[in-house]
Amino acid sequence: MATSRTSEPLDASLDEAVSPPELGPPPVHTGPRRLRDLVGTTGRHVGLIVMTGLIALPFLWMVTNSIKTTDEMWAWPPVWWPAEAVWSNFPDAWSAARFGRYMFNSFFVAAAIVAIQTVNTAMLAYAITQMRFWGRDMLFGLVLVTYMLPVPATYVVSFIILSRLGWLDSYQGLIVSNSVSVLAIFLVRQAFLQVPRDYIEAARMDGASHWKVLWQICFPLAKPVFITVGILNFIVQYNNYFWPRLITRSDEMRLVSVGLRQFFIEAGAYGIQWPLIMAAATFIVLPLLIGFLFVQKWLVRAVSLTSGQK
Amino acid sequence: MTAVVERPGRRTRTGSRGRPDEPPGQRSPLATIGFLLPAMVPLTVFWIVPMILVFWWSFTNWDMMAPEYDIVGLENYELLITRGALGQVLWNTTYFTVGTVVPTVVGGLLLALLLHKRLRGSSLYRTIIFSPWVTPMVAMSIVFTWIFEPRVGLANYVMTSVGLPALPWASSSDWAMVVIIIVTVWRQLGWAMIFYTVALGRVPADLYEAAEMDGSSSWAKFKDITLPMISPTTFFLVIIMTIEALQAFDQIDVITQGGPAGSTRTLLYFYYQAAFERFQVGEAAAVAVFLVVLTGMIALAQFVVGRRFVHYQ
Repeated sequence: MATSRTSEPLDASLDEAVSPPELGPPPVHTGPRRLRDLVGTTGRHVGLIVMTGLIALPFLWMVTNSIKTTDEMWAWPPVWWPAEAVWSNFPDAWSAARFGRYMFNSFFVAAAIVAIQTVNTAMLAYAITQMRFWGRDMLFGLVLVTYMLPVPATYVVSFIILSRLGWLDSYQGLIVSNSVSVLAIFLVRQAFLQVPRDYIEAARMDGASHWKVLWQICFPLAKPVFITVGILNFIVQYNNYFWPRLITRSDEMRLVSVGLRQFFIEAGAYGIQWPLIMAAATFIVLPLLIGFLFVQKWLVRAVSLTSGQK
Repeated sequence: MTAVVERPGRRTRTGSRGRPDEPPGQRSPLATIGFLLPAMVPLTVFWIVPMILVFWWSFTNWDMMAPEYDIVGLENYELLITRGALGQVLWNTTYFTVGTVVPTVVGGLLLALLLHKRLRGSSLYRTIIFSPWVTPMVAMSIVFTWIFEPRVGLANYVMTSVGLPALPWASSSDWAMVVIIIVTVWRQLGWAMIFYTVALGRVPADLYEAAEMDGSSSWAKFKDITLPMISPTTFFLVIIMTIEALQAFDQIDVITQGGPAGSTRTLLYFYYQAAFERFQVGEAAAVAVFLVVLTGMIALAQFVVGRRFVHYQ
């Protein structure tokens, strides 16, 4: 991501917008510019601390509530920090439903989907950019149109198709029905168009097959795009809820969001299980937040890639 | 671009040394088909065919159980309009869409501006603000359900502490949508911020230098340079967020299930209930068609309006 953070005039306007008025106008005599910058910086920090605090609050509240007792949770005024942390909420929640299984399912399904998408995206994008065939542009147009359409609108039909295939409540159903990423095709096509023609021509002269050209020339050059889209789609699929909920029935096949929601309904109805629900939410959300720290730059890249399009 | 018809024999040379797994140059239609199929088969079965069938089904009265169904013409559409359910659903959808898109876009821009110039700790701020986006909506919707618990929830504690009345939140038809909107904005604000961060980085610095020489005020520079220069991003964001808002499901399903009294039943949730709770496939298909047409029009607006009025690259 290429961002310059040095265009001062813009920030000067911003500083004025956010600096607290009670600090007053900068005195004209003693280095006004400098003082204004200082006031502005302080104002920006104040604004950002308030915003980040609000955004982090649900996470903090989730964690502190996961180690409270039920009484503390229902106390008024709310207890900020439990008198004694009930760490046993975590093992209790873990064994109250098959969270290990749900997490494995989500991980396995998301990984399989990303692996398949990587291969079929690469192949389709290669065909569209490097092969000549009748109706090529029409085909790409068709793929683009599916990108615009609201996917949930297809669920009612896809559901019936899956049931006819006998794939409801199965890994193959979860995986195959999500095995195309139009966004990935779109971005990888873009990347493959950048591959220098000479490289491909030279490889072909040496008798390299399409398969070889794809994986030994195009793929390595477009690797950052594949990683970006792969991470993005992994997270989306890992967290996926609506469609997996429709097509899974048994406890064994639940993805983590579906399993957590089920636990919430069953345990939440009695009210006494709230600390366990918070504990479950915590051990589901925390790994994602920690993973996020490592893949953050790729996600930022994903946003800038998608914004660079149209 | 026009499709280039393949010319046989042009690349015979490459084929001469080919091993069985090495299709000759650009000559093999089989290779082409082989490269297309792995993506095109699932795309056809789970995207294209359903999209076509859903149109067809919207003219039938199938209930998902019966082996047969009748063609009922436009009856499903008529029912939608005459029974009056659609009015409230459309209002809810509009409320939710405007209620999430506007704060997300404005807030995202504000945050991006706050972080634009060098600032100590800016990467930490950015990380925290962006982080909700990777968390599962379901888990965080459950956390928000607890925060907005009417009796002992954190939200009402804060409200009463500053002298505001406690609110019934998700259990009242007046406030339930507000809760759904807050969760949604909370989760996608950082995403809009990153979008704008990228856009702000692309504004050429010399534009500001020129304006500075003319003695423009900060506000004037923001209004006359920044806003117009990032207008394509704003436009693109509004379109994407609107299309996404039309498809919001997880938070509604976890927090309110469309209630109370249908106050959070959006178009998509109505569709879900028709299809998977009432098994009225025909009716659900009609709603799906409506959703597709609506999304299509917004996507089209992006092309038409985008080309005509937003001229900066």
